[in-house]
Amino acid sequence: MTVTLPATDYSKIISCHNVNKWYGDFHVLKGIDLEVSSGEVIVILGPSGSGKSTFIRCINRLEEHQEGDIIVDGITLSHDVRNIAEIRREVGMVFQQFNLFPHLTVMENVTLAPIHVRKWSREHAEEVAMKWLTRVGIPEQAQKYPGQLSGGQQQRVAIARTLAMEPKILLFDEPTSALDPEMIKEVLDVMRDLAHEGYTILAVTHEMGFARTVADRVIFMDGGVIVEENEPLPFFNDPQHERTKLFLSQILNH
Amino acid sequence: MAESKLTPNPSGGQESVPPWRDIRIIGIFAQIAFVVLVIMGAMWLLGNVTDNLGRLGGFRCPDGTSSFSCGYNFLKVDSQFDISESVIDYDPSDTYGRALLVGLMNTIKVGVLGIIFATILGVLAGIARLSDNWLVSKATGWYIDLMRNTPLLLQLFFIYFGVILLFPPIRDAIQLGDLPVYLSQRGINMPGPVFLPSFATWLAFVVAGIILAFVIWILLGRREERVGKASNRAFWVVFGFFTVSIIGWFVASNSNKLDQSFMIAKSERILAFTDLADNMERRLGAANLNEIDLMVEEGELTSEEVDEAAYTLCVISESASEVNFTAELRRLNIPYTVNRSTRPDQATAKYAAGECEIYVADTVILTGERPLLEDPFAQAIVPTLERPVRISIPEIEGLNFVGGIKISPNFAALLIGLVLFTGAYIAEIVRAGIQSVSKGQSEAARALGLSESQRLRLVVLPQAMRVIIPPLTSQYLNLVKNSSLAIAVGYPDLFAVAFTTLNQSGQAIQVFLMVMAAYLTLSLSISALLNWYNKRIALVER
Ligand SMILES: Nc1ncnc2c1ncn2[C@@H]1O[C@H](COP(=O)(O)OP(=O)(O)OP(=O)(O)O)[C@@H](O)[C@H]1O
Ligand SMILES: [Mg+2]
Repeated sequence: MTVTLPATDYSKIISCHNVNKWYGDFHVLKGIDLEVSSGEVIVILGPSGSGKSTFIRCINRLEEHQEGDIIVDGITLSHDVRNIAEIRREVGMVFQQFNLFPHLTVMENVTLAPIHVRKWSREHAEEVAMKWLTRVGIPEQAQKYPGQLSGGQQQRVAIARTLAMEPKILLFDEPTSALDPEMIKEVLDVMRDLAHEGYTILAVTHEMGFARTVADRVIFMDGGVIVEENEPLPFFNDPQHERTKLFLSQILNH
Repeated sequence: MAESKLTPNPSGGQESVPPWRDIRIIGIFAQIAFVVLVIMGAMWLLGNVTDNLGRLGGFRCPDGTSSFSCGYNFLKVDSQFDISESVIDYDPSDTYGRALLVGLMNTIKVGVLGIIFATILGVLAGIARLSDNWLVSKATGWYIDLMRNTPLLLQLFFIYFGVILLFPPIRDAIQLGDLPVYLSQRGINMPGPVFLPSFATWLAFVVAGIILAFVIWILLGRREERVGKASNRAFWVVFGFFTVSIIGWFVASNSNKLDQSFMIAKSERILAFTDLADNMERRLGAANLNEIDLMVEEGELTSEEVDEAAYTLCVISESASEVNFTAELRRLNIPYTVNRSTRPDQATAKYAAGECEIYVADTVILTGERPLLEDPFAQAIVPTLERPVRISIPEIEGLNFVGGIKISPNFAALLIGLVLFTGAYIAEIVRAGIQSVSKGQSEAARALGLSESQRLRLVVLPQAMRVIIPPLTSQYLNLVKNSSLAIAVGYPDLFAVAFTTLNQSGQAIQVFLMVMAAYLTLSLSISALLNWYNKRIALVER
């Protein structure tokens, strides 16, 4: 008797099959296929408007895809609010604009979700929050408000806030694009540490240094499709497609 | 050198600017001119007012001189007009001053309730307006447009004449399901709390509980800072408050034995309140009074038999004793019927004539009435447990409701009108406030796994509040000022009472000054409160 294996590879922590999305008539994502192994670090590159943000936002259902399957840690994303909630527990996201809650202190920002979603006691949540704030290097800012911090500090708070929920997967959408050059490094350093610690990471970023040294795989998107994907070394040194070459030449000569 | 290049006049520095072009001097002159204008205007007005007062004899004293304070002597004169509803005791033999106080309290009543309900309605409608559900969002939109595009006066008339006055008369009152809530032409009758004399004792405990809660909050806060570890502050605060309040409840219940008592023929051998239950069980042959309904259902008893066995009570209308006693009977599921009299001697007569088995009144009345009975010492005066607050339930008696709380049709029309009208404006303010919070905030909340209601409650609304509060303040002020339309639906608010006072006493200027001062005080209090709140929730920026 032969056993037909299911199409889905369960060793993959994220599987996307033929993901399609439209904004009205506009076809943003045109059949995206992607398998991500646990612990893998993926950098997504591509010109503006190519659908990078839309794609990673589909993974935690900030955007809804209309066709295809997205399976995160064995849970198929569907219209079931319970499914969505479960996936959001597994997946943390860091935004370009930080999106810290300005009416709450740093400590309250970090403990809000653990207390209300994970139902931890305030005491426990604050302990964990302090641990993460120390990890990202700003334990002394805990009682300040976001408006009192520098951009780099704010982004590190945002990362601590995400990590406090103990996700397995981290999505970064241009986390350093809103930062002054001297603050970019402090955020990239934190991201690099996280990559080495075994988090599964999907990062949209234009930081080529990060992509070269930290990524396991680089993906190039254009016009809603994945044009090319490869390990960083061959990707940067020997791009296969014309569009990739053009993009890289523009970005590297810039 | 560099400086002189910046000045348009190359021949000199700042000193040489002619005064009519110096912004500082212009500013000072503008202010002086403005103050002069205001003072002149005020003097002209004041002159007019004093002239009129002189002509009308407004501020004249009995001895022929005239002074500001004498202008208000009319406040001590009997008003001789009735006011249809009042929070405090009032009748036509009370003074104009008290009448105006009644009006003020009525205004505050409708204002406070209106603000509370309009806020609730407005917040819900504002959120609904942004709902993804097409129908919910559209329906709310229609409501808001309807309210904002028709005059409030028209809406009040419609609600009063077109809705409430078309309700059935009392004998056909509409009951809401099985609840003791009745709608009729006379308004709404529903269960409500009655505060018994021991309430004051309990209130003292509640206040003590609040103070204790504050003390605990502060002490634990200090300890947290010292030890550097969070303690369960909220829990201990709530625990402290409830412990004191609950102890107070029982202390108050036992503090006032003198006021609540009843009298009954000794032949019934009832010496304590609980005997009433035992006796009723014997009468009905029921093992447990809670089973009465079940027994009736199963046919072991007929409801006629239950009515027959029910205790008949003689009570004095609107007395605390009645509320306290019947609430206790209901708690024990003891059937009873009530026979009300307005005065103690009437109740005594009925009791003597055997119209009822139990005479319910406070001890002072009962000890006074007992010697008048045929066989005084056969009548036992037995104490009932008094609770600081009892729920009173409305019942139809003849052409009226007794018990419960009554909401007059005038008040209901005004309150509903103000709430619907102001709620629509508040909904728009809330919608704008929510929309002012950036989408990124919602996305971050969702990405962290917060549910939709948590997202609203913990992230969006607290931030929207900053945008909402200032325009909300002016809506609250509008509501209070619009409440002066009460006169259109016959609700005796401050303005309505003032208008009658003015017509009757002829003291137009004094009355207007007082009413203006009253509205001004109310408005300023609301503004001050909300400004204080707004300051507290202001964002801390770098
Ligand atoms: N809510 C929306 N409604 C309609 N079109 C949208 C919406 N959001 C994005 N788009 C369009 O979808 C396309 C992909 O957008 P997306 O934000 O994913 O691009 P991106 O690759 O992240 O670009 P960038 O590098 O500028 O962030 C763009 O053309 C954009 O205009
Ligand atoms: Mg983007």
